[in-house]
Amino acid sequence: MANLQAFTSWIADYAATVTEQADYLTDLDRAIGDADHGSNMRRGMTRAAELAGAEEFTGIDTYLKKVGMILVSNVGGASGPLYGTFFLRMAGAFAEVEDAGVEEVGKGLRAGVEGILARGKAEVGDKTMYDAWAPALEAFDTAAGSGSDLAGALAAAAEAAAKGRDETEGLVARKGRASYLGERSRGHIDPGATSSTLLLESAARTLA
Amino acid sequence: MIGIVVVSHSSALADAAVALASEMTDPENRPVIKVAAGLDDKTFGTDAAAVSEAISEADSGDGVLVLLDLGSAVLSAEMALEFLDPELAGRVRLSSAPLVEGLVGAAVAAGAGADLGSAAAEAEQGLTAKTQHLGHGDGGTGKGGPEEGADGAPAEPRPESVGGERTHDEHVVELAVTAPHGLHARPAARFVRTVGAHHGVEVRVCNLDTGSGPVDGRSLTGLATLDAREGHTIEVTAAGATAADLLQELSALAGTGFGDLADPALAVAQPGAATSGATTSGTATSGATTSGAGPRSGSREISRPPEKGPTFGLEAAMGPVVRGDATASLVDYRAGDVEAELRALDEAVTRSRGELADLIDRATARLGPGEAGVFDAHLAILEDPAFQNPVRDGILAGQAAPQAVLTRTTELRAQFEGLADSYQRARGEDVTSVGERLLRALGGAEADGAHGPGVLVVRELDPATAVLLDPSETLGVITLGGAATAHGVLLARARGLPVLTGAAPARDVKEGTLVALDVRSGRLVVDPDPGVRSEFEALLAERAEARDRMMAAAGEPAITLDGHHVLVKANVASVADASLAARSGADGSGLVRTEALFGDRSTAPTVAEQVAAFERIAEQLAGGTITIRTWDVGGDKPLPFHPQEPEANPFLGVRGLRAFRDDPRPLVDQLEAICRVAREQPVRVMFPMVATVDEVDWALARLDEAAGRLPDGRPDGLEVGIMIEVPAAALRPEALTTLLDFVSVGSNDLVQYTLAAERGNPALGDLADAADPAVLQLIHDTVTGVADGVQVCLCGDAASDPDLALLLVGLGVSELSAAAAAVPAVKDVLRRARLVDLQDLAARALRAESAAEVRALLQT
Repeated sequence: MANLQAFTSWIADYAATVTEQADYLTDLDRAIGDADHGSNMRRGMTRAAELAGAEEFTGIDTYLKKVGMILVSNVGGASGPLYGTFFLRMAGAFAEVEDAGVEEVGKGLRAGVEGILARGKAEVGDKTMYDAWAPALEAFDTAAGSGSDLAGALAAAAEAAAKGRDETEGLVARKGRASYLGERSRGHIDPGATSSTLLLESAARTLA
Repeated sequence: MIGIVVVSHSSALADAAVALASEMTDPENRPVIKVAAGLDDKTFGTDAAAVSEAISEADSGDGVLVLLDLGSAVLSAEMALEFLDPELAGRVRLSSAPLVEGLVGAAVAAGAGADLGSAAAEAEQGLTAKTQHLGHGDGGTGKGGPEEGADGAPAEPRPESVGGERTHDEHVVELAVTAPHGLHARPAARFVRTVGAHHGVEVRVCNLDTGSGPVDGRSLTGLATLDAREGHTIEVTAAGATAADLLQELSALAGTGFGDLADPALAVAQPGAATSGATTSGTATSGATTSGAGPRSGSREISRPPEKGPTFGLEAAMGPVVRGDATASLVDYRAGDVEAELRALDEAVTRSRGELADLIDRATARLGPGEAGVFDAHLAILEDPAFQNPVRDGILAGQAAPQAVLTRTTELRAQFEGLADSYQRARGEDVTSVGERLLRALGGAEADGAHGPGVLVVRELDPATAVLLDPSETLGVITLGGAATAHGVLLARARGLPVLTGAAPARDVKEGTLVALDVRSGRLVVDPDPGVRSEFEALLAERAEARDRMMAAAGEPAITLDGHHVLVKANVASVADASLAARSGADGSGLVRTEALFGDRSTAPTVAEQVAAFERIAEQLAGGTITIRTWDVGGDKPLPFHPQEPEANPFLGVRGLRAFRDDPRPLVDQLEAICRVAREQPVRVMFPMVATVDEVDWALARLDEAAGRLPDGRPDGLEVGIMIEVPAAALRPEALTTLLDFVSVGSNDLVQYTLAAERGNPALGDLADAADPAVLQLIHDTVTGVADGVQVCLCGDAASDPDLALLLVGLGVSELSAAAAAVPAVKDVLRRARLVDLQDLAARALRAESAAEVRALLQT
C-alpha cells in the first residue's frame, strides 16, 4: 500500500534518477530531437521534489495535482504538458484515498496514460513515450488480475515498459520533433519512452 | 475588440513578433496582445499555466485568438484551454497560422474591428502572399483569399467589375500606386486601417494591371496578394453608408503613396483617373502590321522527314503563325529630326521595358523566380547607360533611331563575343535580342511572339525560350534551322510541345497565317484548305483522346502482360518539370539535370540553395527515387558560373566530370547538398561523362570528401552510379561498376559518340539514331557486363520513344527515364507487351543491318 509519504518518495526518487540520467536523456534527445529532454526533466522534477518540503499536503490527489502543475510550468518542452497531464489526471484517481493499493494505483496509471494520449494523440508505434506506457499498463493489469500485489504489478509494468522502450529503437518517429527526421529517426531509442520507463522503475522502488 | 495571445518557446521571439505587428497597427486601435513564451528569459519552453493566464488577460469579452509556434506550444495551448473557465475557453481560437505572418494579419484585422472568426481567417491567410510571390502556389491556393468567402465563389482574375452586380450605393475609384515599393505591408496596413474605421462598408480591391483580385479591403494578406507595384492602378469598390467618404479618404491616402512618400507633392492622387500601367501587352492581332517578306497566298505543303524521335503528346498542331523571329520591318521607317528620333527611342525603350516586365512576370508566375533570369538580363542591358548613351549620341550625330540602335547593338555584341568567358560570350545573343526588340518597337511591329496563342516560328529554339513556352498558348513550334535534337527542342518536347524542326521553306510565312503541322509524319501545311483543316482537326481529336486515355492510367505502374514491372521515371530540369512529371505518373526521376536547374545563375548556388531545390523536386515526386546527376557542363551546356576556355571541339573536350579536375569545389559542394537531401529523401547520385576506372575512383573520393562534411557521413540509402554515355564505358562495364549500385545509359550522348554524329548538326540527323544496331550492341554489352547486382537504367530520349522503350526493356534495361510528357505513353505500350516478346525483338534487333531495319522491326 502506498500513502502520501510513498508518493513523495516516488517523486523524490524520480527527481534523483532523472538528475543522474539527465545527460543520457539529453544525448538520446540530441540524436532525434532538440537535445533538451534531460535538462528539461531535471529542472521540472527538481522543482516538483522541492514541493514536499515546502508545503503541507492533505492528500495524495492534491499533492499529485501540484506536481503536475509544477511540471506544466517548468519542463518547457512537450514533456511538460505530457507529464503534467499524466500527474493531473492520475491525481483524480486518488480523491479521498489515503492508502493506495494495486487497484487504485492501476486506476491512477490508466487515467494518467489516457491523459497523455489525449494530449499527444499518439498511437503505439509512433516512437513516443506511449510505446513504453501501453505495454506497461497491460502488464500491470495482467499482473493485478492474476493476484499480484502492488509491488509485483509495478515490477511487471516497469519490465514491460523497458521492453517497449527498447523496441522504439527500430521505429520511425511519427510524432513530435523527431518526426521531422523521418527514416533517420530509426536506430535511436526514444527519450520520452526512456524517461517514462525510469518513472515506472522509480515507482516500483518506492510505491510498494 | 478581440484579444491576441502569442505562445512561443522564446520570449525574445514573441516580443519581437509583437513589436513587428504593433508597428502596423494604429496605437489608438490596437488589440491587446499578450505573450506566453519561454520558461524565463533564457530558457526555451512553453508553460500551459502561463498561456491560460495570458488568455484571461487578453480577453475583453470578444474572444481571444492564440497564435503559436511549434511543438509543445500546441500541447501547452490545448492544455491551457482545459484550465480556463469553459465559457471563456469557448471564445478562444487556436490558430494554425504561421506565427509572424498570422500575428501581423490578425493584429491589423483586429485593429480594424474584425471579429474572432474574421481575424482567425485573416491569420490563416498569412502564408498566401508569400506562397504566391515565391511561386509555390498551385493556382488555387493563392488566389482564394478572403474574397472566396465573401461571394462564395472563387475569385476570377478579371478586373472590370467587382462582385458581379453593382448596386446603387456602390462607389468605385481607381487609385494610382505611387509608393516606391508598391502596396507592400505598411502602406497596405494603412489602407486596412482606413477601411477599418468605416464599419459596415464592404470594400473590394482589384489590381487593374495584373487583373488580380478582387480581395477584401479589410484583409492585409488579401491586399498583399494583389502584388500592386509602383505604377500599377488599383480599383477600389465600396458599398455601404459611408462608402463615398471612405473612398475620399483612400484617395487622399493614395496621394501620399499610402503614407510612404514623405512629400505629398511628389505624388498625385488620381481619383477616378486610371493611369495606364506600363506593362500592357500587345496581344497578337494577326496580319495588321509587320513582315518584310512579300505576301503569299494559297495553300502549300512543306514536307519534312518524319521524326523518328519521341512520340508523345499530340505531336501535331494547327493555329495561326506567331513569328518569334520577327525582325522589324524598317523599310517604311521615316526618320524625323533629332528631337523626334530621341522621342521615338524613348517610346521604344518604354515599350520594350513593359514587354520585358511582362515576360518576367509570366516566367516567374509560370516557372518560378529563377526561370525569369534571361529576361532580367535583357532588362539590365536595356537600362544600361553603356547601351543607351551611345545610341543617343548616334542620334545626336544625325543617325535615325533604328540605325543608331543597330550600330550600337552590333558593336556591343562584338565586344561581348570577344571575351574569353563563355558566359559573357553568350550575353552577345542577349544584346542582339534586346536590339531586335527595340527595332520591333521602333518599326511599330507586334511585340514578340510569346504573347499570342498560336504556332511559334523561330529560327532556332534556344533553351531559354523553350523553357518559357506556355503549352496553353503555344500550340506548337516550327524551327527554320537547327536539329531535332538541339537542347531547346528537347526541352520543349519534354514539356509536351510539338516541335517541327528544320522547316526552312516556312521562313516567309506571315504572322497570323494558319498552319497545320504533324511531327510524326513531318507534314507542314501552310494556309490549309478546308479539307486539310478537317483532316487535322480529326487527327488532333484522335490523338487527344488517346492521350487522355493514357493520362488516366498514368499513375498506375507499368507491368507487362507477363508480370514484369518496369519503373518509368522522368527526366527533370526544373521544379516545374518535376511537377509535370508527377502529374504524368512518373515513378520518380531518373535524371535531374542540375546544370539546367541552375543554368541561368551567374553565381554558383550555395549548398543550401541546392538542398532546397532538390528537396522541392523530391517533394513533387514524393514516393519515387530521384537520381541527381552532378554538374554536366561543357558541350552544348555552358554553366555561367563555371566558365570554360573555348575549345575546338567541345563535345570531345572538358565536359561533365572532367570539368572539375582542377577545381573540384563546386562538385564537392553539390555532392554535399545531395548527401544532405539523401538523409531525408530517396535519392541517388550519378556522375556524367565517365570513361575510365580512375574517373570512377576519383568521383567516389569526391563523394567521400563531401560526406565527410556531414556529422553522420554518407547516408545509408544513397545509391551511387555513373552514366554510360561514352563507348569506352559501355565496352568495359564490369571494371567500372564494381563499386557502384547502378548505371544509367545516357542515350543521347552514347548515340552521338558511337556514330560520331553531333546531335546539333541537322545534316547528320539521320545518323544520330538510338535504334542503330551499334548503339543497341553497346547497351546489350552494358546490361550483360555490369558487375553483379548493378542495375542498368536508361535516361535519354530513346526512353521517350515508346517503340524504342519496348526494345530497351527487351535488352534488359530495368528502368527508363523519359521526358515527363512521354511517361504515360511509354507505360501504356509496356502494359500491352510481354517481356518474352520484347526479348525476342531485342535479339532480332541486335542482328539487324541498320537503324532503318530496326525501325522496321519495331513497326511489326
